Amino acid sequence: MANYYDIDDIIMEDELIWVVFQKAANGVGLLDPGAESNTVEQGAKVELPFWLAQELHLRQVVTINVPQCFNQKTRKEIQADAACVDLKNRCSYFYELGCKTAPLVGDRTIGSFLLYAFKSRYKDVLSKAHTAAFTVAPKFLSILTKEETMYESAQSSMATFKKWRMGGPRLQRAAVLGKKRKSTD
Amino acid sequence: MYGRRASQLVKEFSAGEKGQLSAYNSDMFDQVIRECNAHHLELQNLMRKIQDEGLDIQTTRNADHFGAVIHHLSLVRNKRCLMAYVYNRAELIQNLRWKAGPVLPPEIQEKLSYSEEEYFRNHSAALEAYMSELELDLTVDMVPPKDPYIQVRVLDDIGEVLLSDQSANLARHSMHFLKRSDAEQFISQGLMEELMG
Repeated sequence: MANYYDIDDIIMEDELIWVVFQKAANGVGLLDPGAESNTVEQGAKVELPFWLAQELHLRQVVTINVPQCFNQKTRKEIQADAACVDLKNRCSYFYELGCKTAPLVGDRTIGSFLLYAFKSRYKDVLSKAHTAAFTVAPKFLSILTKEETMYESAQSSMATFKKWRMGGPRLQRAAVLGKKRKSTD
Repeated sequence: MYGRRASQLVKEFSAGEKGQLSAYNSDMFDQVIRECNAHHLELQNLMRKIQDEGLDIQTTRNADHFGAVIHHLSLVRNKRCLMAYVYNRAELIQNLRWKAGPVLPPEIQEKLSYSEEEYFRNHSAALEAYMSELELDLTVDMVPPKDPYIQVRVLDDIGEVLLSDQSANLARHSMHFLKRSDAEQFISQGLMEELMG
């Protein structure tokens, strides 16, 4: 399990996914906007945050539907040109949610789909980070999920590399060495 | 939706600038606590209902049981959000002691809750006790200096000060060549700036 105090993990688990109740549950009518009484009926289709859906799935109360962001349409788009798909808009925790839902929904294709999406986007993010001017970056950044961090570190590594290549002598003298010793009297 | 407020609290924390403390949201915090109490009440009601029907609370798996489970899970979730909020803030507050010194500037101080202020004071006292035991100020030179002396410009009238190797009149806008360890405390209080170049 991820770190209990991890902020990102907590926010990620707040993503909504569709589930179908296999058992009725009393006293929680709030979950189902269509419920007439304070009960969620068996067979009701409800949108729940991931933290609740996961635990209820373990207790076999609900079955989880594959989240929207892994549907056929997205898959086709990713196959066409992974780097241009706006993943942030679909789900800002695309990979994390995928890793966590894959074992629950029993869809074996999600894993390889995530890997494919990441591999092709990774290549593109790196090359854009190395070459793109700062002015075009914001537009590109807006379609990235947490891949942002990757983009930023790629950019800073490139900046450091350039500095190393251009900048002065390979070995820098410590500033202390250059100075004449002051007489103490 | 259950747990919505708690996650708003966490999101608010993460939306803030990295390493910067935002104001303690006691209003939202209390709302989440109230939500927890409501869950607890519902949970007890459902449990009582199961018992009243003469069913075994350990093995019953009816609609009441699953309702209770949902309330229980929401409680646990809310707890996790609140804990993470407090814990991550506490880490920032610990860092403040190293960066800003034992006295917090008022604009940061007002962002802390009462118990966070107390935490800061106690952490600061513990650190000071340790440092006096070692007879070493651990908070200076967090980055190893290239040169023990630095050029500084004084931003505010400090007056005549006895430093470790000299005594200097630190008047506003005057420039000095000081030992880094002496200058560091003034810089962290915002009374001096280092001249780069």
